[in-house]
Amino acid sequence: MNDDRLEEILNSIGAEEIPAEARKIAQDASNNFNKFLRQPSQPAKPSLLELIMRSRTTKLAAAAVIVIAVLAGLPFLPKNTASVTLAGVAEKLGQVKAIMYRMKMHVTGSMVPGTPQVSQDMESTIIISNDFGMKMEMDMTDPNTGKKTTQQMYVVPDSKLIVMVMPEQKRFTRMEFSDDLLAQMKKQNNDPREIIKQMMGCEYTELGRSTIDGVEVDGFQTTDPTVIGGVGENVTLTLWVDAESWLPVRSEIDFDMGEKMKVHGVVSEFNWDLPVTAEDFKPVIPDDFEPMASGMQMPKISEEGLIEGLRLFAELSGSYPKKLSMMELAQETMGFMTNRDVLEKIKEKIPQARGLDEDELDELDGDEVMMKTMQITKPLQSPGFFYMMLVQDKKEPVYHGETVGPKDIGAVLMRWKNADTEYRVIFGDLSARTVTGEQLAELEKQPPK
Amino acid sequence: MKHSERLELFENVRARYSVFLTSVLWKLTGDKELFTEAMQYSLFGIWRNVEKLKGEKAGSYIYRIALTANSKAWRNRVGRNGEIPNDPIDPAEDADERLDRAETAAIVRREISRLPRKQARAIVMRYLEQQDYQAIAEKLSCSKAGARSNVSRAMATLKSKLAVLA
Repeated sequence: MNDDRLEEILNSIGAEEIPAEARKIAQDASNNFNKFLRQPSQPAKPSLLELIMRSRTTKLAAAAVIVIAVLAGLPFLPKNTASVTLAGVAEKLGQVKAIMYRMKMHVTGSMVPGTPQVSQDMESTIIISNDFGMKMEMDMTDPNTGKKTTQQMYVVPDSKLIVMVMPEQKRFTRMEFSDDLLAQMKKQNNDPREIIKQMMGCEYTELGRSTIDGVEVDGFQTTDPTVIGGVGENVTLTLWVDAESWLPVRSEIDFDMGEKMKVHGVVSEFNWDLPVTAEDFKPVIPDDFEPMASGMQMPKISEEGLIEGLRLFAELSGSYPKKLSMMELAQETMGFMTNRDVLEKIKEKIPQARGLDEDELDELDGDEVMMKTMQITKPLQSPGFFYMMLVQDKKEPVYHGETVGPKDIGAVLMRWKNADTEYRVIFGDLSARTVTGEQLAELEKQPPK
Repeated sequence: MKHSERLELFENVRARYSVFLTSVLWKLTGDKELFTEAMQYSLFGIWRNVEKLKGEKAGSYIYRIALTANSKAWRNRVGRNGEIPNDPIDPAEDADERLDRAETAAIVRREISRLPRKQARAIVMRYLEQQDYQAIAEKLSCSKAGARSNVSRAMATLKSKLAVLA
């Protein structure tokens, strides 16, 4: 390229008009940033926060967590068989080896007060096989640019791996999951018929007959929040079943996550007789894709994970989370991570970032620091997953994080049903005991000290 | 400095430079997604350095913040997959020429984000803001000849980088 051509291009860039849309984006960014700065616990120098908030990795990981949570809670949920009719449907589906369906989700609102509102559309095609695992292809549309991004997620039970592939970024990540999570996923995700059983485990109403796409269907509806394992509130789940074949045709769900986010989801286009091979579930990763976050593990879903997560939360923030439902915990965690003291504590746990000033922190690889941050804060997700599992298993968890803190040694922080007459109790000092109903009643009479 | 004072100062600086930032960042990015990202980085940068932005060197710092924000946004984009965003296009142009022009402009933008800071600033002042050498010299605190030299060095760097890509 000669000087004249380069000059010509530079001059043409310089002469470009600034579109009204750019001015609006700039104004919105300023307004959102202003709101963020006026939060009560704003950081003075948010370098690490900047990395966290701006990192594409975080956005992808956050989306993944939401998807995993919703997948874990939405379409395939366990429980007892109580209705002859729906039980017959479940039985009929017993021979199905693999299914495919489409899931559309629309999420609106803001994860953390003061941060930009999102209006995100996600469309997924999901294939689940009893023998080979799960494969999901998800398209997300950026509400600002209209640009679509794709993610593929594979759950490979044999090697206990979740593999996520991001074609636009030419990146992929492998996350190991534990036996606990595998057992949970097997119980839920590998058996799509469970949506029916789950509905039967809740109080539901029969909506009668209707027509969807020319097919006569019978409808069932529940507003029981346990149907999604405490992930959200104000839940309405509607299931439409083919009146002739008794195969599910469509399910719709609406729920709120925290005060700010609303989710609308539709599961449809079921294919109940899908021939699959192991090859269909083998992750496809082109040679030029870079690995990201290798060695990451999914959070533990166990009492141990619960205690580890609560301990870390208290270490960073000085108290326990107020609520343990997945989204409220995520919101509270993201909220306190804008606090300067909390960021400093996390920074001190990152060898590369320890002792660095703001400018030096700038020079670090953002994704590398971000991954380290995610590894350190990963246990914070465990209480949410564990609580969700307890809700789904109808173990009636009760959590007192709003009134019980780390110094309330003998106070009941959390408890759930272990068996008909037994309860597992976690105390303010995070010790645990199994007690009878009478003992629990005595313990709960004592106010926090 | 108290938080309320920092907030007030931030608001003043933001209001004073918002037209400049919008214009320069748009021209440096030419793409909504990159622009949004660069704008957010700039706001973070202003907030973080707000104490330095009340003196006479404020203008200089703002350039530094804007160029760093632009580099970060580009680094996020091209560091992973080398994807070049589409440029706004003029429908009156011939299609091939338009594509070629858009692609070249995007490459030029990306290479500006990789220039040493002083050279990037010289290019931005000279071509994106279309300032004369006298004004550039004053802002860079150097002679007119020094300003010319910075611009030509930046042009030479850009040319050599573009030659490798040709």
